[in-house]
Amino acid sequence: MTYKRKKYHVGDTHLKKRWRVRNRKKDLDQIDEDLKEEKAEQLLNQDVNLDLPGAAQHYCLHCARYFVDEQALKEHFKTKVHKRRLKALELEPYTIEESERAAGLGNFKLPNKRKILTQNTKADITDKDGDTVLEEVSPNKKKKIDKDDT
Amino acid sequence: MRIETCYFCSSRVYPGHGIQFVRNDCKIFRFCRSKCHAAFKKKKNPRKTKWTKAYRKTAGKELAIDPAFEFEKRRNVPVKYSRELWNKTIEAMKKVEEIRQRRSNNYIMQRLRKGREVEWQRDVREVQRDISLIKSPAAGLKQRQAEEETEMEVEPETIEVVDAKGRKQIIEAPVMVPATGEMIEEGRDIEL
Repeated sequence: MTYKRKKYHVGDTHLKKRWRVRNRKKDLDQIDEDLKEEKAEQLLNQDVNLDLPGAAQHYCLHCARYFVDEQALKEHFKTKVHKRRLKALELEPYTIEESERAAGLGNFKLPNKRKILTQNTKADITDKDGDTVLEEVSPNKKKKIDKDDT
Repeated sequence: MRIETCYFCSSRVYPGHGIQFVRNDCKIFRFCRSKCHAAFKKKKNPRKTKWTKAYRKTAGKELAIDPAFEFEKRRNVPVKYSRELWNKTIEAMKKVEEIRQRRSNNYIMQRLRKGREVEWQRDVREVQRDISLIKSPAAGLKQRQAEEETEMEVEPETIEVVDAKGRKQIIEAPVMVPATGEMIEEGRDIEL
């Protein structure tokens, strides 16, 4: 083995750490499960956990990420990463069941397309009067509609 | 013991083959070979990877919806052995497989037939566009000229018309040419 070839893996610990199985993030089909109402409510109203960023109070459902505060979460909603994730979730994610159906275990179902909106922030939900307004469209969407009107 | 299906390409995974990954929510992902495992680790989407079954079925390249697919099921309760039932099942399996194969082959043939139709239409269009390559536009030019000459020989009838303002005008009377009808028919024959 030449000297050069010996050195290919020198200084790549940061890469190795990232690809460790323990550092795996949630897959799309797991997030799809989380989007169901009951689970979503649980995730958005978590108990204070000091080990997690922002004590687990600011969680993005679609990206499965914790943020330190409301501001950071709102900024995140404006990012490409988040928008890309919303786009990826539009089609129902691929699952083990689908792989079996593709193999001939039952009829194959085409994936459905859905509309995915950014979650409501806590400020949105508890409006000025303190009333809960859950069915409101996300802040990003609101802006878009306004723009269209003008 | 079971013949499992690969998570990525949906092929069969026989005992002792491939590798499996157990996610922290207890879901088991089985892979038939390192190719599929590597694709999974790269987070490739099987629906968009052309060589997988999932792609072929979502893209409509293979028969995806058919009652013949409903026979295969995961049955988690073991059936008590009886020789007669066993024999019957094996016979039925063969029959079902035969039917399924025939239907899926038929599906593919139907798709190919569509291609033939499109091809034929394209050919017709090409001939119409490039007819000048098959038949020169100059073909029969002399004949046409000769005809025209004969036309010229026929003295065009002229009519003298006096305008409202008193000017004199000479108008050619339309000449009937019997040969033109034949020419059009000839052209049609070539056009298909």
